[in-house]
Amino acid sequence: MVVAEEAAVAVAGAETMKTFVDKVGLGWRADLAAGILSHLDGIDLLEVIADDFFDAPRSEVRALKTLASQVPVVLHGVGMGLASAAPVGNQRLDKMARLVEQVRPQFWSEHLAFVRGGGIEIGHLAAPPRIADTLEGAAENLSRAAALIGSKPIMENIATLIDPPGSVLSESAWISGILASSDCHLLLDLHNVYANGLNHGYDPQAFLCQIPAKCISAIHIAGGKFISAPDGSQRLLDDHLHDVPDPVFELLEQAAALSPNPLTVILERDGAYPSMACLLAQMERARRALRRGRARRPVAREVLV
Amino acid sequence: MSARAFEAFLTRIYVDAGARTRFAANPRDETRRAGLSDEECAALENIDWVGLEMAARSFARKRELQRKEQPRNSFKNNFENIFATISRRFRRH
Repeated sequence: MVVAEEAAVAVAGAETMKTFVDKVGLGWRADLAAGILSHLDGIDLLEVIADDFFDAPRSEVRALKTLASQVPVVLHGVGMGLASAAPVGNQRLDKMARLVEQVRPQFWSEHLAFVRGGGIEIGHLAAPPRIADTLEGAAENLSRAAALIGSKPIMENIATLIDPPGSVLSESAWISGILASSDCHLLLDLHNVYANGLNHGYDPQAFLCQIPAKCISAIHIAGGKFISAPDGSQRLLDDHLHDVPDPVFELLEQAAALSPNPLTVILERDGAYPSMACLLAQMERARRALRRGRARRPVAREVLV
Repeated sequence: MSARAFEAFLTRIYVDAGARTRFAANPRDETRRAGLSDEECAALENIDWVGLEMAARSFARKRELQRKEQPRNSFKNNFENIFATISRRFRRH
């Protein structure tokens, strides 16, 4: 009994001395290749779009493996449609399994989205109705994906310009339900939370408090732009073509204050590329936001690498 | 609720402007023709119409970009430069 109590005290002590090894990386894009490789000292890891390599020639996969031997890589899938009532095809899972085996990433991730229906490809990520059927469908797809690929994906919340029709659950309840039933972690895209909050009328900071903080292990930051709706109103489009806005850094600080896990933060930029100095400055700003957030945790000490 | 049929219907109105127009003109008939339940038909009659139009445009732009663009992270056009840079790093260490 005394031994058990001493062990409990030791565990509690370890918790108070918990060290966070947060990382800040960048999305790999061909247009940024030279700049990235010239500035690896300031980039903790790279996120590579997995789908671009599913049918790539061997030479390209070899190049990706060489890159992964130089800098930690995570693989990010965009085309599985795992959060669907329909089962994801084995062929897509096999391709991811093969790439994961070849590249050995730190983790692989996908989206809480559906991307096709009735044999038609949407061409992008769409929010399914937030109902029990899609929650169960996602859990089944995630279970099959984990079994076939050998590891669970980290799942990302998506931005949506349309409030998904037929929904009976809130976004936070639906996401929390999938994480609970699949035992997956969350890739929390903060610009998506910010955009959905503005477009669909909820408070992004309250949203962060509604999802299980213990599941947050990776974060996306990005920028977007306001576009005009047919009725003259405006909605925020998550286009990844703009710098990260201030509110997203504020959300990052809050996420760092909430999450008990080491965080992997990725800056996503898909075009209208600024200088590497500008991208590195946004990554540095992310590190500062993480430090501020970690400092807000009552019993935590943080070390950034 | 047949979620698969519902997702298939959403996909159609997201990608097919004609289907979207027919749906906007007569939501109940179109959703019934797709075999959706009363509950699903009612949900779609109350759809976020502004969001539907904006999402459909956004998806169309994405499909257009995919048709035009190389994969985002292809090494194809940067192969030699990338390996030259990595080789330089190996030599430095």
